[in-house]
Amino acid sequence: MSAFEPNLQSDAPASGGDMDRRSFLRTSAVLASGLAALAASLSPLRKLDDYVSLERFVQKYYKELTPEEMKQVLKRIENEVERQYGIRPHVRDLKPMDGVEFVYALNLTRCIGCRKCVHACVQENNQSRTPEIQYIRVLKMPHGSLDVEKGEHNYAPESVPEKGFFYMPVQCQQCKNPPCVKVCPVHATWQETDGITVVDYDWCIGCRYCEAACPYWARRFNFTQPSIPKERINPDMAYLGNRPRRQGVMEKCHFCIQRTRVGRYPACLEVCPAGARKFGNILDPNSEISYILRTKRVFIQLKEELGTSPRFFYYFDV
Amino acid sequence: MNGRFKAAWVLRGLVVLFVGLAAAFLLDLWGRPTPLRAIPLVDPAFLDTATVRRSYADLVRAKEDLSDFDCYACHEKNKPPVLRYDEHQNLLIPTEHSDIVMGHGQHGRNNNCFNCHNETNLELLQTRDGRQVKFTDSSQLCGSCHGPTYEDWEAGAHGRISGYWNRSRGPIKRQDCINCHNPHSPPFPSRHPAPGPHLLHELTEAPARAETAH
Repeated sequence: MSAFEPNLQSDAPASGGDMDRRSFLRTSAVLASGLAALAASLSPLRKLDDYVSLERFVQKYYKELTPEEMKQVLKRIENEVERQYGIRPHVRDLKPMDGVEFVYALNLTRCIGCRKCVHACVQENNQSRTPEIQYIRVLKMPHGSLDVEKGEHNYAPESVPEKGFFYMPVQCQQCKNPPCVKVCPVHATWQETDGITVVDYDWCIGCRYCEAACPYWARRFNFTQPSIPKERINPDMAYLGNRPRRQGVMEKCHFCIQRTRVGRYPACLEVCPAGARKFGNILDPNSEISYILRTKRVFIQLKEELGTSPRFFYYFDV
Repeated sequence: MNGRFKAAWVLRGLVVLFVGLAAAFLLDLWGRPTPLRAIPLVDPAFLDTATVRRSYADLVRAKEDLSDFDCYACHEKNKPPVLRYDEHQNLLIPTEHSDIVMGHGQHGRNNNCFNCHNETNLELLQTRDGRQVKFTDSSQLCGSCHGPTYEDWEAGAHGRISGYWNRSRGPIKRQDCINCHNPHSPPFPSRHPAPGPHLLHELTEAPARAETAH
């Protein structure tokens, strides 16, 4: 306040000594209330910390992080999750294994359309429950057609499978030539050496170009702050995988990176009651996935004509 | 004088502006999040990874009640049970086994208990070529007819698997045929589907349209 004093004093002599004191007081009062109002109007900025912490703001690009810096980042994420959800998670940064390329195969003869995979995925990967985000969409398709435009998303009969239909679950196809990666303006999404296309949720700017580029409708956007009940949090997390996301970032299926990169099967596969889902390392000739691609009637890479070359195959038994 | 007068008005204007802003933020006039209708959590039954059925081997492992498999509590040893048929050659299932639904194979042609069960020792199974199989190894019996499927199952391409795809990191658990298929009525049972995607808008007409679409 005192900084303004000389100014007022220098102005004051023009209007006489008596007015000096009064105008000074008046101006100060106006200024004080003005500053108070300014402070009050800016108060929402205090909540800014919830949206972007300084540490995250200055964090380096994922591929440039040294192991020590990564440790700090993982610690920050653990703290953030604990503050938000009241659960101390175990967050890891899992790297791709050498000599491993993941491939998924889905047996359309066996799938009964029960949607258990959808919900096992939500549970495993800490997707938002309200609003609801699901990575897998099961299409109910009439027999004799593979036109996904004929697929029905919202079927709700008393029991499945229904006569005359087959069911085709669609999720991220982990393309060898992924259009979503090409359009990302900030390289927040990329393909790892084991074939998984990942998203760095701390680097994503939420432009949704990738969502528009994906021909499989595999990418999901967090329009609002995701919410997960504490008792449904999966504390086994990975940086590029199932750590909780925030508002304004993209997410998608990542073949359960927190499971598959330690050698386990994805959650959607383990829950499938019909055993329709198969997963493994295509570079290992003895894996079941190699057996399937070698011996089965593998009919489709979905929308094969687009040249995306999915690592997700659909096949038949007979 | 003029300059100071102007400054005072500007200051007043600013005060009014800021007070207005403060009030607006306080009342959250814009950016007030519309409360989302909480979507009910999915029934944990849909997250269950248990198999459809439990095999004899599972029951043995879990040391559970096996009295259902104690054939000679009722049957007499060395005295093969007599099968009775109606006029259409359908097997008449005795009331003691009324829980069995005969539905193996098409057109009811697989209607003889002793196609799979051993006639003289009911605690064993038997393939068509006379090989005796224990209840715990029932998958071998299935494989004696369903060769290609058995091959797929051995390779891991048919049936449920859980555990580790990377065998050097951990074990793999493979389910038996009868964990999913009822041997007397093998088609995979239908079930109630888990809830589908929740739309942002109220579902008032969409399901009706979905029903009539086909």
